[in-house]
Amino acid sequence: MLHLLQIDLKKLTSYRTFWVICGLYFVTLAVATASGMEFLKWLARMFEDFGQEINIDRIPLYHFPDVWLNLIWFSGWFKIVLAIMVVISVTNEYSYRTLRQNIIDGMSRAEFVTSKVLTNVLLSIISVAMIFFIGLVTGLIYSPTQAYESILTDVDFFLAYFLEIFFFLSYTLMISVLIQRAGLSIIVVLLSQMIELIITVNINEDIPWLVPYFPMRSLWNLIECPYPRYAFQEIKDYLDPLSFAIVAGWTIVFNLVAYRKIKKSDI
Amino acid sequence: METVLSISNLTKHFGKIKAVSNVNLQVKAGQVFGMLGPNGSGKTTTLGMLMGVVNPTSGSFKWFGEEPTHHIRKKIGAVLEHPIFYPYLSGQKNLELNAMIKECDPANIPKVLELVELSDRKDDKYKTYSLGMKQRLAIASALLNEPTVLILDEPTNGLDPMGIAEIRELIKKIAAQGKTIILASHLLDEVQKVCTHFAVLKRGVLVHTGPVDDVGRGSETVEVTADVENLNEVLLKFAGTSTINREDGTFQVSLRDGFRSQDLNKFLFENGVIASHLVTRKKSLEKQFLEILAGA
Ligand SMILES: Nc1ncnc2c1ncn2[C@@H]1O[C@H](COP(=O)(O)OP(=O)(O)O)[C@@H](O)[C@H]1O
Ligand SMILES: [Mg+2]
Repeated sequence: MLHLLQIDLKKLTSYRTFWVICGLYFVTLAVATASGMEFLKWLARMFEDFGQEINIDRIPLYHFPDVWLNLIWFSGWFKIVLAIMVVISVTNEYSYRTLRQNIIDGMSRAEFVTSKVLTNVLLSIISVAMIFFIGLVTGLIYSPTQAYESILTDVDFFLAYFLEIFFFLSYTLMISVLIQRAGLSIIVVLLSQMIELIITVNINEDIPWLVPYFPMRSLWNLIECPYPRYAFQEIKDYLDPLSFAIVAGWTIVFNLVAYRKIKKSDI
Repeated sequence: METVLSISNLTKHFGKIKAVSNVNLQVKAGQVFGMLGPNGSGKTTTLGMLMGVVNPTSGSFKWFGEEPTHHIRKKIGAVLEHPIFYPYLSGQKNLELNAMIKECDPANIPKVLELVELSDRKDDKYKTYSLGMKQRLAIASALLNEPTVLILDEPTNGLDPMGIAEIRELIKKIAAQGKTIILASHLLDEVQKVCTHFAVLKRGVLVHTGPVDDVGRGSETVEVTADVENLNEVLLKFAGTSTINREDGTFQVSLRDGFRSQDLNKFLFENGVIASHLVTRKKSLEKQFLEILAGA
């Protein structure tokens, strides 16, 4: 297993585009998530009334345990950058025909897919580790409570966050394997959210029970936007097993479809 | 001799196209086996099936008497159609990656680079290589795991005469080490120059298989006409004569290795025979090849 991951990393780590995109992802993610308080201060300076009406230090953006869900939900937006990296990594194997040579050289088709899946797992783990680290540091700086109970509350959402990233990269892997072209794959991945929305809106009248089972929708249900709680609304601050199961199910399906496609085709 | 590869009833259809039909073939250890056939006759498709990238429609094959698996492919060096590498990686890095995939010792890398004379360009990106260098890197990569079997598909395609000569020298050098080589080519000349055995494919059908005739190997056929009664006898006396055929009043003399038409001309002249017609004909295997293709 580790050997397969090493093979895929060997392909990527001397690839400039990989470092550019991953650099872009991790730097923007880090800066964006860590600078929330600075952003609020900047708002306060720009609009003087803003700072007077509410004391920005009282906004619990980085307070334990709110910080976890706040950062996790916000970070989810950035996964599209990683997805572009996955599209390029996979479609390159088709355009360079290196998938063919890898098989000729003695990889099995299952091993090839596994090597790509393992890279997706690694990228997901690094994302989780980074957000956990940033959450911990910002929380320790800004949070008035440093009690263990509140630090440990909601950390189970990191499992959901891992699944969210891995789900999306698995989806991207499947699309790239099915389409085999970088440009079109990126467009499909970007548009899939919208296409699914059009479908779900249309069937919501007749078969509303089906809507939560749609892949992208299930992702939104897994980690709901936490900010409405500051407008005194109820939010789902627990991990819903059914949502988790649906997202995990889709993730398995995506990876199996990618494997089946590679297994069956002449390459 | 040990059978390296045995193919039985191997068939591949792409939709309506019958790319390979019911091919049966055996390759023994130590042979340099030529797969000859015009473009589109199914050579690459056959090799693709043998190397696991094309799923056969029906039929089967065995490597070293075993059912094929990806583990067996690691012991075979193969280049199909074009050299394939990651363009943004250097030659060295590409080979390191291949060594990981083949699970072989990366210590072989300098050796194979030396063999194909790419050591001084190893740190340049693959995309900066010339076609000949790409072909040589592909051969280096195929040799990386010290395979006993090497598969080469049109290895001189698109090269200039010097590149062609280099690659052929390299193949001979490798064959001299006792490796089994399967060489697909549409160039008769190529098969004749380097192969010990050959098979001919025509529109996916195997129409001939056998040894490259030792008589015909590297030699010429000369067409002679002269106004003398006993031309047949004179020709038979010539040391370089291998066989004589009479066709439409002209004699077709196939020459032994090392004899040229000039030698025959000189011999005839010294024996008081002046040829009214003396033409060096196509080499015998080519004739054989064309006959096979026409007859099938
Ligand atoms: N992936 C493919 N899809 C459809 N037809 C193919 C494919 N690969 C090869 N063919 C067809 O199969 C036949 C044999 O091709 P190929 O094996 O490449 O011949 P060769 O290597 O002898 O030139 C040709 O008619 C070719 O067009
Ligand atoms: Mg070919």
